[in-house]
Amino acid sequence: MAWVNAIIQGVLTGGLYALFACGLSLMFGVMKVVNLAHGDLAVVAGYVAIGVITVTRIPVLWSFLIVVPVMALLGYVLQRTIIQSALDRSVLTTLIVTFGLSVVIENGLLQFFTANSRAIGTDLALVRDSFKVGSQIQIGYLLVVIFAVAVVVLLGLQYFLSASKYGRLIRAVADDREAAQLAGADYRHVFGIAAALAFGTVALAGISYGMYSQLQPTTGTDTILLFAFAAVVIGGLGSLWGTLLGGVVLGVAQQIGAQINISDEVLAGYIVFLAVLVLRPQGLTSRRTQS
Amino acid sequence: MTSPLLELDGVTKRFGRVVIAEDLSLAVGTGDTVGIVGPNGAGKTSLFGLISGDLAPGGGEVRFAGRTVTKLDAAARCRLGIGRTYQVPRPFGDMTVFENLLVAAQQGGGLRRRASYTAAAAALERAGISGQANVPAERLGLLQRKRLELARALATQPTLLLLDEVAGGLTDPEVAQLVEIVRGVNAEGTAVIWIEHVVRALTPVVSRLICLTSGKFVGDGDPATVLADPAVREVFLGSEVTAALAGGAPEAPAAGPPDGAAGGERSEP
Repeated sequence: MAWVNAIIQGVLTGGLYALFACGLSLMFGVMKVVNLAHGDLAVVAGYVAIGVITVTRIPVLWSFLIVVPVMALLGYVLQRTIIQSALDRSVLTTLIVTFGLSVVIENGLLQFFTANSRAIGTDLALVRDSFKVGSQIQIGYLLVVIFAVAVVVLLGLQYFLSASKYGRLIRAVADDREAAQLAGADYRHVFGIAAALAFGTVALAGISYGMYSQLQPTTGTDTILLFAFAAVVIGGLGSLWGTLLGGVVLGVAQQIGAQINISDEVLAGYIVFLAVLVLRPQGLTSRRTQS
Repeated sequence: MTSPLLELDGVTKRFGRVVIAEDLSLAVGTGDTVGIVGPNGAGKTSLFGLISGDLAPGGGEVRFAGRTVTKLDAAARCRLGIGRTYQVPRPFGDMTVFENLLVAAQQGGGLRRRASYTAAAAALERAGISGQANVPAERLGLLQRKRLELARALATQPTLLLLDEVAGGLTDPEVAQLVEIVRGVNAEGTAVIWIEHVVRALTPVVSRLICLTSGKFVGDGDPATVLADPAVREVFLGSEVTAALAGGAPEAPAAGPPDGAAGGERSEP
């Protein structure tokens, strides 16, 4: 029964990891930018939410309505300025620039918020409570909600990309930037929109993690970015459903690892990550490599 | 005097020591049809790059529809009315044919909703690929890809259409169909500049022929005169142009040395 519990917990945590990963995957898929500041931006979103909640005293869940659009806007602006100017030089430059951004954000957070960890909405029933299935399986409401949010976000993104005007545009630009320009598409603006979407999901991920666990200035790189990477690589780059699968595989691997020995939790996830890299570098779902 | 639709004024471009365009000046009027011939590496495709905004000139000015567009990027120029095809078609592979055209109609053509769907459908019809509307573009064969490439340029509602070797690698009947499509587009007032190795595709359509070699124009005028020009003949010695000049079918043995006889018939990679 403990094993069943581990698998259920793992699957649900996978939803959170998929939320971590989908912004990273989207930015790589569209602009070939590996955003090393991805995790730190999620933490920023978490801190902004904490600030908004403290100052305005709005209910915790309402903070999403403010922070997600704010982060999306930040995404558009960052993409049109710093990231685009790095992209204009080379894709490699974007690695260096986003790494720099990561360092600046992390140290800025340390400076202003100290290294103390902070949590979001600890007094909410949603965050505290859980329900029992049978006698041994206990499931937190929050994880179920986060999983559902991840699925809805991925479905929404999928629908947006396949059926909306801007979604088509994003696919066209991702496919062939030059040809898209000759079809009249201003790719920089399209990149901005894709970044806004990605940052919106980053905000969701950051606040969710703040509710699920605790945020520290270093959480962005040591947890969120790394888990996002692992989920993307396991699932397959550029595939949204692969991201969910990757998150779930990572989550299950961690929980099973923890079941064997509590200190093996994180290691087990990375062992699976490494195994996928070696045995199936294109990821579990990717089909792009054939073409 | 109305100003021409497209004007190049002393446009120069070099890649290191390689001269792509050497002080090129050119005026193309509304509804004109201009063919451009020249050997491989003459700078024909680069000339299109300079016109469409893919390449920034080292010097000189590009004017289109009464405004200077030298500093505008390709997307902005497309929205002003410059449509372009690539020599090797570059469809958005994992999108359907119709979606490819929709993007072009909405972005390049600046059309919304209904109008963009109508325009995309019209381009589809015009290029003769209506049957493939919902096929992912990556599954198309060469002929269909070329037609999609043309359709996508048409969907941007161009007033100037730049065709880069659309006939290359196609059979004679296929080329004939293509010529008809381009004629129809031109009949509605769209100016056409057409780069082509397959000179027999050009001559029925264009009223003016320009020969480009090493980034310079060596002939410019009505096709027969240009093809008869000794300077142009020298450029094309032994190739298909000479054959066309001699009045024979391109498949007939060329008048000159046989080495370049297959000139325009190679299929593109």
